[in-house]
Amino acid sequence: MKKSTIIVIAVIVLIAIWGVTSYNGMVKMDESVSTAWSNVENQYQRRSDLIPNLVNTVKGYASHEKETFQAVVDARSKATQMQISADDLTPEKMQAYQKAQGEVGSALSRLLAITEAYPDLKANENFKELQAQLEGTENRISVERKRFNDTARAYNTAIRTFPRNLLAGLFGFDKRPYFESEEGADKAPKVEF
Amino acid sequence: MRKLTFLLTFFILLGSAHLQAKEYAIKDIPMVHLQNRTRYVSNPDDILSPATVTTMDSILYALEQKTGIQTLIVVVTGIEGGDCFDFAHRLGQEIGVGQKERDNGLVILLSTDERCVQFATGYGLEGTLPDAICKRIQNRYMLPYFKDNNWDAGMVAGVQAVNGYLDGSMENTDNDESEDDSLGFIIIFFVIFGGFIGLGLYVSWRKTRCPNCKKHKLQRLSSRVIDRSNGTKTEEVVYQCRNCGHILRRKEQSRDENYKGPRGGGPFIGGMGGGFFGGHGGSGGGFSGGSFGGGSFGGGGAGSRF
Repeated sequence: MKKSTIIVIAVIVLIAIWGVTSYNGMVKMDESVSTAWSNVENQYQRRSDLIPNLVNTVKGYASHEKETFQAVVDARSKATQMQISADDLTPEKMQAYQKAQGEVGSALSRLLAITEAYPDLKANENFKELQAQLEGTENRISVERKRFNDTARAYNTAIRTFPRNLLAGLFGFDKRPYFESEEGADKAPKVEF
Repeated sequence: MRKLTFLLTFFILLGSAHLQAKEYAIKDIPMVHLQNRTRYVSNPDDILSPATVTTMDSILYALEQKTGIQTLIVVVTGIEGGDCFDFAHRLGQEIGVGQKERDNGLVILLSTDERCVQFATGYGLEGTLPDAICKRIQNRYMLPYFKDNNWDAGMVAGVQAVNGYLDGSMENTDNDESEDDSLGFIIIFFVIFGGFIGLGLYVSWRKTRCPNCKKHKLQRLSSRVIDRSNGTKTEEVVYQCRNCGHILRRKEQSRDENYKGPRGGGPFIGGMGGGFFGGHGGSGGGFSGGSFGGGSFGGGGAGSRF
């Protein structure tokens, strides 16, 4: 076999090895973005699950605040219906999801605001525990959103830098959207005693 | 004169107020646990008394021995960013409090300037110490003292309450570290030893190469002694190649067994073996440094303002 043939074969083999490792690397990163997305959905779901209990507890003390209760319940059902699978995550869908969850957050803020006027409610042990759980969930949501953004950034950088962008285009790896911070509603509704 | 006194006092107060308002970044917090594995309380502003720190350290050391749960207590004046949750969570995540496989880390942060206390629980502790319990501990045991600026009593009460929940919640599955160290040394020793043996075998194989036909077919025919001095024997050895019949003469030196005079250079492999085993033995005794296991945090826990 001629020396030049050997060199050509060696180069082809090296490119193939690079191709395989790069592809596998991108697949792994894509998967971790998907996992991060489901973690975010889990935490938002956890918040939604707390809401019925919260509404019932507040109703026990402030039954006439019907509008506020209805707003929370409606926002919650709208958000719960919107489940996005990680493969389906387009920027538009992401924005819609964020908007729906943002409405849940605002409705919750209003609900917690009206509880200020009811000192008996605020002293209720059950309410205090729900408060703590809600705060904890909001914290977890912000942690998972940040993790999602970090994972998505690493993935996006990987598929857009040369030379991997050639491979990414070939195999259909698309850019992942980020969580944008919502105007004004980026801090959890904190109620201070 | 009065004006001067007033101005002087004003500037002194201004200066000390500036000192008071120090905001700690994560990297500014001294990690006392790394110097001493029995200490968990970082108290750089001396807000807590030494007695309080000792009490808390002994509770937390016993807790780690029994359950493997790692804790980090930080009591400072100001924190960078002013958000207790963010700071406590980043402390836990970046320092890696808690064992890696079990994520059983707990961070308790008190900022006297921000007037907030925060518990941050690792993923593995969220079941044993849920958010609601953290909040309850803070409300019931800590806040009544903190409202009066009684930091010592509040922190001790909080740590005792936390210990009440965590003690007995899990078993410590961490094996003794020194075993791993010994194993590593033994493996390294055998690898190097094997390397030397391999080297020796390779060198003697090279000697059988025939310079004429390049094959390794040389065979030793005869030898005669040329010189003997200083404990070294010089021989002329005759080799013949089994392949092409080429004759090769080589001068070789070797140790003279019958020599009874001074010698130079002794066996060195035996000396090296001794050196390896002497090195290990530092960790495990007394108050040597500890380490953090690299546990993860998910945002669990609770915080309170007072």
